[in-house]
This record gives sequence, C-alpha cells and structure tokens, in this order.
Amino acid sequence: MNTTPLLEIEHLTITFPTGSGPVDVVRDLSAVLDANRTLGVVGESGSGKSMTSLAIMGLLPSTARVSGSIRLNGQELVGKTDREFRTIRGEKVAMVFQDPLSSLNPYYTVGLQIEEAYRSHRGGSRRAARAVVLDALERVRIKDAARRIDHYPHQFSGGMRQRIMIAMALCLEPELLIADEPTTALDVTVQAQILDLLAELQQETGSGMIFITHDLAVVSQVAEDILVMKDGDVVERGTAEQIFSNPQAAYTRSLLDALPRIDDPFEELRGTAR
Amino acid sequence: MVLYLLRRILSALGILLLISLFTYAIFFLLSPDPAVLICGKTCTPERIDQIRGQLGLDQPFWVQYWEFLRGLVAGRSYGDGPSAIDCAAPCLGFSFQTNESVTNMITSRFPVSATLAIGAAVLWLLAGIGGGLLSAVKQGTWWDRGAMMVALGGISLPNYFVALILQYVLVVQLQILPFPTAVEFGENPLLWFQSYLMPWLVLAFAYASMYARLVRTNVIDTLGENFMRTARAKGLAAPLILRRHALRPALTPVVTLFGMDFAGLLGGALITETVFGLNGVGKLAADSIAKNDQPVIMGVTLLAALFVVFGNVIVDILYTVLDPRVRVTSR
Amino acid sequence: MSTAPSQLAIEVDTVGASPGGGAPTPARRVISTLRRSPAVVLSVAYIVAVVLLAALAPVLASITGWGPYTYDPEAINADLGGIPIGPLGGISAEHWFGVEPQNGRDIFARIAQGAQVSLLIAVSATLVTTVVGVVLGMVAGFYGGWADQVISRVMDFLMAFPALIFMIALLSALPAGNRPALLVIVLSIFGWPYVARVIRGQTMSLKNREFVEAARASGAGNWRIVSREVLPNLRGTIIVLATLAVPGYIGTEAGLSFLGVGVMPPTPSWGQMIASAVGWYTVDPMFFLIPGTFLFLTVLSFTVFGDHLQKALDAGDAA
Repeated sequence: MNTTPLLEIEHLTITFPTGSGPVDVVRDLSAVLDANRTLGVVGESGSGKSMTSLAIMGLLPSTARVSGSIRLNGQELVGKTDREFRTIRGEKVAMVFQDPLSSLNPYYTVGLQIEEAYRSHRGGSRRAARAVVLDALERVRIKDAARRIDHYPHQFSGGMRQRIMIAMALCLEPELLIADEPTTALDVTVQAQILDLLAELQQETGSGMIFITHDLAVVSQVAEDILVMKDGDVVERGTAEQIFSNPQAAYTRSLLDALPRIDDPFEELRGTAR
Repeated sequence: MVLYLLRRILSALGILLLISLFTYAIFFLLSPDPAVLICGKTCTPERIDQIRGQLGLDQPFWVQYWEFLRGLVAGRSYGDGPSAIDCAAPCLGFSFQTNESVTNMITSRFPVSATLAIGAAVLWLLAGIGGGLLSAVKQGTWWDRGAMMVALGGISLPNYFVALILQYVLVVQLQILPFPTAVEFGENPLLWFQSYLMPWLVLAFAYASMYARLVRTNVIDTLGENFMRTARAKGLAAPLILRRHALRPALTPVVTLFGMDFAGLLGGALITETVFGLNGVGKLAADSIAKNDQPVIMGVTLLAALFVVFGNVIVDILYTVLDPRVRVTSR
Repeated sequence: MSTAPSQLAIEVDTVGASPGGGAPTPARRVISTLRRSPAVVLSVAYIVAVVLLAALAPVLASITGWGPYTYDPEAINADLGGIPIGPLGGISAEHWFGVEPQNGRDIFARIAQGAQVSLLIAVSATLVTTVVGVVLGMVAGFYGGWADQVISRVMDFLMAFPALIFMIALLSALPAGNRPALLVIVLSIFGWPYVARVIRGQTMSLKNREFVEAARASGAGNWRIVSREVLPNLRGTIIVLATLAVPGYIGTEAGLSFLGVGVMPPTPSWGQMIASAVGWYTVDPMFFLIPGTFLFLTVLSFTVFGDHLQKALDAGDAA
C-alpha cells in the first residue's frame, strides 16, 4: 500500500483583509484523508469549513492569504496559480455544492453542463462525451436519462438537480470528492436518498470524500473521521465513534445535545418550544 | 406557442385600438375647430359648413372615430360625387396645412428616421456592450472608473445640449464637419455620412451610457452567481467561463431593453431630428405640433404606438427563445 | 469585492462582527456611509445650492438689480443684431452670467427663476407619482384579484404608450392656462406606473413574509398590516425611487420646454432657455452653455445621490 495519503493538510491558515484589519477564517488546520475514506467537517456557518474546501480547489477570492500546506497525493497545492489549478479542479478534485438550483446555469441543458466538464479535461468529440454523460446520469439514477439529458435545470426537482451535480462531479472519476452541505437544501426523504447515493458511488470508485455539514446527524451516517470547527479553529477531532460516545470539547457536546434522540420522551415537547 | 403568439398579437391590437381612441378623443375634445383652421383667413360661414360636411366634422364623435378606423383598414373617400377625394388604406387623412396625404408624408420621411435609428443603434450597442463588459471584467481599475464616469455624464446630459456643444465645437470652431444638410446618399455619400454623423453620435452617446451601466451591473451580478463557481470548480478555462456562462445570462435582459429602445426610435427621434434639422418622422411630429396639424399628429402618434407595441411583442417572443425558463411557462 | 462568492461575505461578516458597541440605526448607518463618499457630498452641496438659488431668486434679483424679465438695452449691441456686449456673452460685474442676445435680459436672474420653475415641476411630479404609485402599487400587490387585474392592465397600457410623443401632442392641444400645473399632471399620468410596478412586486413578496403572517395571526386588520408592517419595509425603495425620479422629471420637463410645449416664454425654464439659445449658438455659445451646465449638473447630482443611496440601502439589506 502507498504510504502517501490522498490528502494531507498541515497548519492551514486562511486570512482575509477586512476594514477592521486581517481576519483569520481558518487557523492552523491539519487533517489527513485516505482514499476510500470520508472525513466529516462539522461547524456552523462562519466556522471556516467552506473556506477550507475552497482552498483545496484553489477557488478562494484573490484577496485571501493562505499559509501552511495542502498536499494531494504528495503534490503541494498551496501557491499554485489559477492556471495550474485547472488541471486539478474537476479532474482530481470535484465538488458538489449546497444549492443545486443556483449552482447550475439556467441557460444551458444539464447535458451540456456535464459534457463541458468532461471535454475540457479529456477532449474528444461531443458524441463520445455525450455517451459518458448519459452513463453518468444513469449512475446517479436519473430515470429516462436519454431524454432528460436535453432538459434544463429548472425542469428537475431539487433532489434530481443534486443528482445531476453529483453526475457532473463523478464523470471525470476524481480521486477526491468534496461535498459542501449537499443535502441542506433538500427534503428529509430526499436527503437520505442522496446520502445513500454518495456512499454507494464512493464504494464503486474508491475515491476519498470530504463531507461538510452543520448537521451532526447527517455526518454520523457518512463519515468515519470527524473534525469539529468553530470560528476558524478545530475544536475536536476523532473517529465518528469517539466523537459520539465521548465528546471532549464543550462545543461538540452542545451540538450533540441539540440532536433529537429517539429515546427521549420530551423530544416533541422541546421541539415545539424551540 | 401558436396560441401564445395569437394571444399576444390580439392584446397588442387591443392596446393600439385604445391608444387610437384616446388620441382621437383628446383632439376631438380639446382642439379648436379644424374647419376654421383649414379655411384660413378669407373665410365665410358657408365655406366652413362645406368643409365640415366634407370631412364629416358635423357627425357625432363615435361616427367620426368609426370612419377614421374604417379609413385605416379599408380606405375612405371624403365628400361625395365627382368632387370626392379618395384616400386609400391605410388612410390617415390629409394635412390641414398642405393637403398632402398623411400616409405619404410619413412614408416619405420614415427612411430618415430609420437611418438615424439603425446607425445610432450600431454605435451604441458596440460602445455600450463593449464598454460595460470591459468595465465589469476590469472592475475597480482606472478604465472602469473612467468609463463609468463618462457613462454617468451620458445619462445626465440632455441630448440637445450635447448636440449644441458638438455642433459648436466641430462645425463652428474646429470646422471639421459641414453644417448638417438634408442630402440623399446617392447625391453625395460623403456629405450624407457627415450629416448623419453627429446625430448618430449624440443619440448613441445617451443610449451607450445607459447600456454600459446596465451591462456592467449584469455581468458583475452574474460573476457572483453560484453557477460561476461551479464552472470554475469544473476546471473550465477562463475565456470559456466568461463567454458561455457569464455573457448569456448577463446580456439577455439587454435584448428586451434594446427592442423597446429601437422600436421607440423608429417612431421618430423628436429632439435629435429637430436639433439637426433631419427631415424624419420625429421632425414631422414636432413641426405638425407647432402648426396644430391634427391629422399628422394623430398619424405619427399612432405610428410610434405601433412600433412600441409590436416591439414589445417581438421582444416577448425573442425572450421565449433566449431564456429557457420562460420557454416552458409560456406554453 | 462583489466578485467574491456570496458565502464569503457572510462568513467574514459573522467573524468580523464587532462584539458590543450598540448597532447604529439603519438610517444613521446609511447617512454615515453616504457622508464618506466625496461624490455624494459634492452632489448634495450642489443640490442645496440650486435649491437656495431657486428659493432666493427674488432676493438675488433685488441684490443684482436685474429681474428675470427686465430688458437691458445697454448690454447688447443693436448694430450687431443684438449680441451681448463684452466677452463670454456679456459677463460683467453687473450681469454675472451675461445677458440674453437681442433683449439683454439678465441670465443669472433667469437661471435662478428657471431653477424655481424646473425644481417645482419636478418635485411636484415626483410627489404625485410617488403617492399615486405607492398607493395603487400596494393595493394591487396586497389585495390581488380584480384590483390587481385592473391596476396592472392600466399600467401595461400606459407603459406601452409612446409617452413622449403623446405628452407633446397633449400639451400642444391643451389651452395655455397654467403651464407648470399642466406639466405636472401630464408627467404624473405617465410616471406613476413605473413606481407602482416596483411597489406592487415588493408588496407581493412582503405579504407572504413571516412577520406579516405573524401580525395577521395576532388579529391585525388589513389596514394595520399595510401601515405597520408593509409600508415601513418599503421605505427604502420609495426613497430611492423618488430620488431617481426627480432628475428624470427635470430632464423631461426641460425636453418638453425645449420643444416648445412645456413652460411658455417669457417664464424661464432651463430647457426653454436652451431652446431660445439654439438660434444664437454660433455667435453666443454662453447663452446655451450656462443653462445647459446647470441642467446637466442638477440631473447628475440627483442621479449620483440616488445611485449611492440605493447602494447603501442594498448593503444594509444584505448584512
């Protein structure tokens, strides 16, 4: 087995200049992820979890200052130019975003939007690309894919759109998939379907996954390892089991307490009181 | 789609009908007696009665309006017997001042207005869209600030003021251009071009300024959209992202605006044509207003309304082609 | 900054939020934002100056000794077709902005008088269109149904009208009477739909917001909801619409007067002054440059102020 991990983050700090001086949105973050594993990153909005994923993709705004190290298969990503990052985005690391409707361009068919991702890295004819797209749509269980490929984003339901985003991410078979709150905008039943789909596809491809969420209940279903972030700091790290059975940080405990528990007779009462 | 089109055209015709009714009613109620106007200074009561009879002015309002509409669609004739004057459809009546057919007056001047509108449109689309795009991409740079300052001036300067400054500087002081004259392209192409150049520039400046501001805002808004982040996350090349993902969403609203503005100009650019003495529909309107020549005012108002209303229909149809979200709901 | 993904703005905001130190009221925050922009300060200063010029027109006339309608045959050269004596259109200690050719009326006095006329018309038209537009827009948006149908149809109809030509035709057909009042009426007839359209849309979205539903659940009547919940939330929009309407009406009034159907001579308005300068522009350019510059700077100042106000209010909504 290869000794270099898929992703290695060491002492990552991200700083933004603001009107009232520089602000660290991520401070001294370190993490390791192997292929076939899922790392859950949990925190509220503003905790720096999304900034971390954008740093891996090289998608931070140009005003951001990044220090520390991000290595993908041993290759250093910090300090790469936008042009150099292009061979990594989509091809090696793909991303699924929170709001699938606004993440798809309303003016183009979903087929074209997946196809352009594929062709910009692999080239080839549109015909060949279309076959790949069709296959990707079928893998994410879009029914009647041969017809749906020419439909526009607004013609799909929320869950279907997120499947399309996943198909787009998977058509290039990336080594790392970053899912940034992929189920937050969806209904609970659809959420479960998308989580199952992600897990299944990860089994098939053997890629690593970073799963970003504010929801501990969701992360418990998908991740083996968990980072808990607050205000740019990692406040707790460990396996999912450790964190759920023996949380160390007070913040993690407060997050766990907020979860509804099935054996709690007062759950409904508290639910209405909130 | 066919049904939608049909409905759209029918409602446009309805609006036109209402506009014609309003315009007709206002002139019927507010204007001095046309018969007196036509008759002139050497006038007898018998002569006035005769004119009233011939024009149908002795009829009640609804009859007159109905005759007017009938004339538009099927033509009409004034008076009866051998002295009757025929007016073929679309009949807008005859000028009180010159006795010329209003339809002929308009059609003979329309090419001037169209030339003015087309030339200005080419200039303002190039400058407005190009300038706005460049400003958006180079946001915050000196180019952006400079261009937006010029555009702010362009939307705040009245075009007759710009016209006077331009004429004073280019024609009187620097003598680069001759005084604008009414000349056909065939007679003297250079003079023709020189005569249209200033009106084109003046008209285009105002519109280009508006378009540059709009395009800049739209492009910047589009660049902030989530789908732009997706496009970058896919690893697309920057030029492709800009060309495919930013331009189309940003420029589609410009189509609506352009359709309306261009349609409006085809109905005559009143101020620009008047200032530069271009003999177009706009100048015809201004002149006939000054002389209280009602049939001509009525004619040019209806023509302008026709362009605006059908411009609206065409823009709506174009939108269903350009924006896939509209396409489906309109079915 | 606006190229950054929206997420960033939120994250940085929450991180950078200053603890303690009571939050300023929205109005104060907007004013302090505006005061930091030199363009806004200059615009407001200019607007104040023009308003003072308009308000003090009679006082200024008594100071200079030249009213807007007084002829000064001494200031023009009758042998040269009546062009002003002296350079720059006869600018002198006596006539600060020079005199009109042919009759020698004092341009400064006429500019001041014209400011009064132009501003009065534009501000009145803005008031009328804002009130009518807000009321009808809220009725259409809040009640929906047939009220919305009727109001929306009328708006569509008025906006499809070739407004400029029609305004000109209407004004030319109307008897002389009180021209400024007629102008306000005509400008208002075609102006209110643009206000009402925006207000209608915003009311429709406000109607379904939580706080309106909460008010309804607590038994508030329609009038109470409209006046206590909906209207206060439209305040920013209304202020911006009104600020940007003023330069629009100033420009339209000037255009109509320029075409000879607006303010009638001898009453001065800036557009009408430019119109009378057209015949003289080759020999006396100051005659059109002075009213033109006043007109331009006034429209510019209101536009700059409105633009910045809108931006400041939008930024407040996003935070």
